[in-house]
Amino acid sequence: MIRPAPAARFRPGDAVRVPDLRKRGHVRTPDYVKGKRGRVTGVLGEFPDPESLAYGGAGLPEKPLYRVSFRQADLWDGYEGAPGDTLHVDIYEHWLEPAE
Amino acid sequence: MSGVHDMGGRREEFGPVDKSQHELEDWERIADAVNYVLNAKGHKTTDEMRRAIEGLEAYREMSYYERWAAAAEKLVVEKGLLTQGEIDERAAALEKRWSGG
Amino acid sequence: MGENGHGHPHEEPKQERSPWAARIRAVEELLAEKGLLTHGEVEAQVRYMEARSYENGARLVARAWTDPGFKALLLEDTKAACSELGIDASGSVEFVTVENTPEVHNLIVCTLCSCYPRAILGRPPDWYKSPAYRSRAVAEPRAVMREFGLEIPADLPVAVHDSSADVRYLVLPMRPRGTQGMSEEELAELVTRDCLIGTAVPREPARV
Repeated sequence: MIRPAPAARFRPGDAVRVPDLRKRGHVRTPDYVKGKRGRVTGVLGEFPDPESLAYGGAGLPEKPLYRVSFRQADLWDGYEGAPGDTLHVDIYEHWLEPAE
Repeated sequence: MSGVHDMGGRREEFGPVDKSQHELEDWERIADAVNYVLNAKGHKTTDEMRRAIEGLEAYREMSYYERWAAAAEKLVVEKGLLTQGEIDERAAALEKRWSGG
Repeated sequence: MGENGHGHPHEEPKQERSPWAARIRAVEELLAEKGLLTHGEVEAQVRYMEARSYENGARLVARAWTDPGFKALLLEDTKAACSELGIDASGSVEFVTVENTPEVHNLIVCTLCSCYPRAILGRPPDWYKSPAYRSRAVAEPRAVMREFGLEIPADLPVAVHDSSADVRYLVLPMRPRGTQGMSEEELAELVTRDCLIGTAVPREPARV
């Protein structure tokens, strides 16, 4: 953890899914993880919300930001590499939902 | 839904990585620095800059610092710090001066 | 600020073919005239960036290779580790160092723009900002690294880090064999910029 995140909903080890919120405009969640399942590996802290900052807002309330890992084989059809290959993306809390 | 800037995984669109390096021109250093100074002084934020860059119609055709310059211009006009007219006029005057006119 | 060191960014430019060259200078002049920034501030920022280079990262790595306590600090709190070496990484952006081990090789990319630990390493190379790297590094990292001459063994997992938000990542590579007894300065020379991104690994020193 880099900054405190007292209100963080998820913890390292939690299985999560990235919903496709179909938001227009500026977001920091790459398209390729939308609809995919991953696992929280770290809570980075609370940071101003970029979707507010991008339009002149104050970025409040701040959003917990997580390190989420994905299996590469889950992201790309026909991925060529080792079964243990992973991809790590920083994702704000409102872009995560619990997964089984 | 994904924008032109959201490039992760669009591998079929691009070939090998070109590892050549261009020598930075002075105007690129200025574009870089002006953006940092405007951020530092609270005139704009990194995410406004990203949003402005993502909205550039010619995103794919522009070089990296062309995007920065264009987005900075867009934002200072949007925020009412400068007018489009005065920027156009000054840029034309600079071009004219450099061409010896 | 030209390569020969005596240029001035506000003088008449040479060979600037982009139409944006005049436009950004116009913006800068007008902002200065209105007191929204000063030429001095812009020039100071140019100097700040010019003074940054991957050599800062190489120093961090060499210290981490020789001092386990420093390595722990670098992995736990990269800003504090920078500060210990006199590298100014303060500011609102956060930094995380990821460690290459015999169990994982790390590769850094920013698919949405070109986030890079600039305050530590300076400006990123052109290829890091290219659509080809940004699109392919996430989906076919091994093929991309192969283009850089780096073949990752099939049994060594690759972890790709997409710097999508408020954190910038850098790689702590493994210390190569055959470097016992080398000084910190000599070790730092083995660490290239690409080693800090993950498209290269430090080479064993040539045997004399």
